[in-house]
Amino acid sequence: MAALLEVEGLAKTFGSLRAVDGASLAVEPHSITALIGPNGSGKTTLFNLITGYLSPDSGHVRFDGRDVTGANPGRLYRRGLSRTFQQARVFPQLTVQENLTVAAGYSWAQLFGRRMSAADRERVARLLEEFRMAHVADLFASELSYGQRKLLEFAAVLMSSPKLVLLDEPTAGVNPVMIATMEQHIRERHAAGVTFLIVEHDMPVVMRLCDPVVVLDQGREIFTGPPQAVQTNPLVLDAYLGA
Amino acid sequence: MRSIPYAGQIRGVVFVAALASLPSFNLAHWSINIAVFTLMFAVMSSAWNLFGGFTGYPSLGHAAFFGIGAYTLGLWFEHHAVTTGYEPFLMLPLVGLFAGLIGVVLGAIALRTRADVFAIVTITLLFVVQTLAFNLRGLTHGAQGLALPIPPFAAATFERPFYYVLVALLAATMAITYLTMRSKLGLSLAAVRADEDKARGVGVRTLGVKLLTFSVSVGITAMVGGIWAYYESFIYPQFAIDPLITIGMVLMTFLGGRGTLWGPVIGALILETAQQTLAYELGGSEYYLIAYALVFLLVMLLMPQGIVPSIQSVVRRRRRRAVVDAPGPPPSASSSDRTDVLTRDAVVVEGPR
Repeated sequence: MAALLEVEGLAKTFGSLRAVDGASLAVEPHSITALIGPNGSGKTTLFNLITGYLSPDSGHVRFDGRDVTGANPGRLYRRGLSRTFQQARVFPQLTVQENLTVAAGYSWAQLFGRRMSAADRERVARLLEEFRMAHVADLFASELSYGQRKLLEFAAVLMSSPKLVLLDEPTAGVNPVMIATMEQHIRERHAAGVTFLIVEHDMPVVMRLCDPVVVLDQGREIFTGPPQAVQTNPLVLDAYLGA
Repeated sequence: MRSIPYAGQIRGVVFVAALASLPSFNLAHWSINIAVFTLMFAVMSSAWNLFGGFTGYPSLGHAAFFGIGAYTLGLWFEHHAVTTGYEPFLMLPLVGLFAGLIGVVLGAIALRTRADVFAIVTITLLFVVQTLAFNLRGLTHGAQGLALPIPPFAAATFERPFYYVLVALLAATMAITYLTMRSKLGLSLAAVRADEDKARGVGVRTLGVKLLTFSVSVGITAMVGGIWAYYESFIYPQFAIDPLITIGMVLMTFLGGRGTLWGPVIGALILETAQQTLAYELGGSEYYLIAYALVFLLVMLLMPQGIVPSIQSVVRRRRRRAVVDAPGPPPSASSSDRTDVLTRDAVVVEGPR
C-alpha cells in the first residue's frame, strides 16, 4: 500500500543553519506515526514544510498520491491534511462554536451563507459532545484554559474530515488528566480512520500510542521503527544523550 | 433576557428614516452643509471599517481612492453634458466599480504585507496618486484644478440631492456591513484579524476575503469622492487626495469602535459635527483643531476600545451577572442570539494589530 504522506530529501536552510537537512519519511495510512528528536532537531520546521507554511529549498512532499511540495496551507487543509501548532492556536475573539465553524473549509459560495447555519450548529454540537465541551460552546476561546484550548484546536482541525492530522506536541503543557483525555481522543479518531503524525516529547505517551516512531536529529531522520526498538537503538541514544 | 426579534433591522430603518427626514425641517444652509460632510465621513468610516475594522489591516491609503473617484467623475463629465443634474449620481456605481477593480490590482500587491508595513505601503500609494494628479497635467490639469459641471439645483434646496444620495449610500454600506457580519465571510474576516496564519492553516481563504473586502471598501470610498467632487464643483489634487481624509476615516472608526456596525457611524457623527461646528464657532482661527483633538483625546482616554465596544462589554458583563444571580438552572448552551453576532467583535482582547 502506498504511503499517505511521503517526504523525500526535504531541506530548509535559515541563514547558515540547516534546520532540515535532507529529511525523508513516510506515513502509512491508518498509522499513528511519532516524530521525535532532541530540541532543535527540526521537527517543527519539518511540519511547516509539509503543511506549506514554509517552502523547502529542495526535496518533495507527496500527499495522497499527489506532489504537494510548497502548496498553500489552505488548499492542503481542504484536501485533507491538517495540523495543530505547538502553542495551541485558536481564535481568542471567537466563541468555541465559531472556532469550529470557521475551520470547516468553505467554498466561495458558502462564504455568503449564514455565519452559523442550523447544519453548522448541529455538526459543531456533535463534535463538542465528542470532546465533552458542550458546556463551553458559547464562551470566547480566550476564556478557556490552556488545556481546553488545545482540545479545541484539535477538534477544530477535525471539522474538515481530514485524512491526515499532524499534531505538534499535543500533550505539552497540560495536566495529566488532560493528557489522558487527549490520548483517548486521538485513539477514537484513529479508530474512525484518521491517520496521525505526532511530534511528542512525552515518551510514555509515544510508547503507548505510536507505531512506528521516526527519530530526527540535526534535520535528518536517523531511525524509523517500532517504539520498543527506539529505546535501545544506539544512534538514538547518542542523539539524545550525546556521545 | 432575549432581545426583541429584528431589533437590529428596526434600529437601522428608524435611523435611516430619521436621517432622510432631516432636510424637511428647513435647516439653515450651513447646518445642512455640515450634515452633508458628516454623512460623507459616516459612509467612508463605515467603508474603511468594512476592511480595516474587520481584518485589522491599518489602511492609510483610502484617500487615494477618494481622489480616484473624484477625478474619475470629473474627467467623465469633462466630455459629457449634465442636463437634469442627476447624471453624475447615476454614474456613481460605475465609479465605484472602476475604483474597486483598481483596488483588486493594488490590493493584490499591498496585501502581501501586514501591519505597519501595510500602513506604510498604503500611505505611499496615497502620495503616488496625489503626485500623479499633480503631474499628469494633460489629464487632470494638475495644480490648476479640474472643473466639474455646476449642479443645476435650486439654491434653496441645493444640498438636498447630495444629502439624499449620501443617506442612500450610508444605508447601503451599513447593510453590506450587517450582512458581512452575519455571514461566513464575516467569520472568516474575524479569523484573519485574530490570527491570520492560523486561519490560513484551517482553510480560510485569507487572501480572497481580504481582497474582496478591500475592493468593496475602496469602491465605496471612491463613490463618496465622486459625490464630493460634484458638490465642490472644482477639485484640486491636494484636497482630493488628502491624508487628512484617511486620518479622519481611521480616527472616526477607532473612536466609535472597530469591527462594529454602528461604531464608525457614531464616530463620524461625533467627530465631523464637532469639527465643523467648532470651525464655524471659532471662525478662521485654528483653535477648533485644539478643541477637536480634545474631544478625541477624552474619548480615547475613557474608552480606548471605542465607544460601541465599551458599551457592549458593560452590557455583556451586566447580563452575565444577571444570569449568575438568577435563580433556577443556568441558561442552555444555545443562547447565542442575534445580538451576540453584533457584540461578538466588541469584547476583544486587544491584539498586537
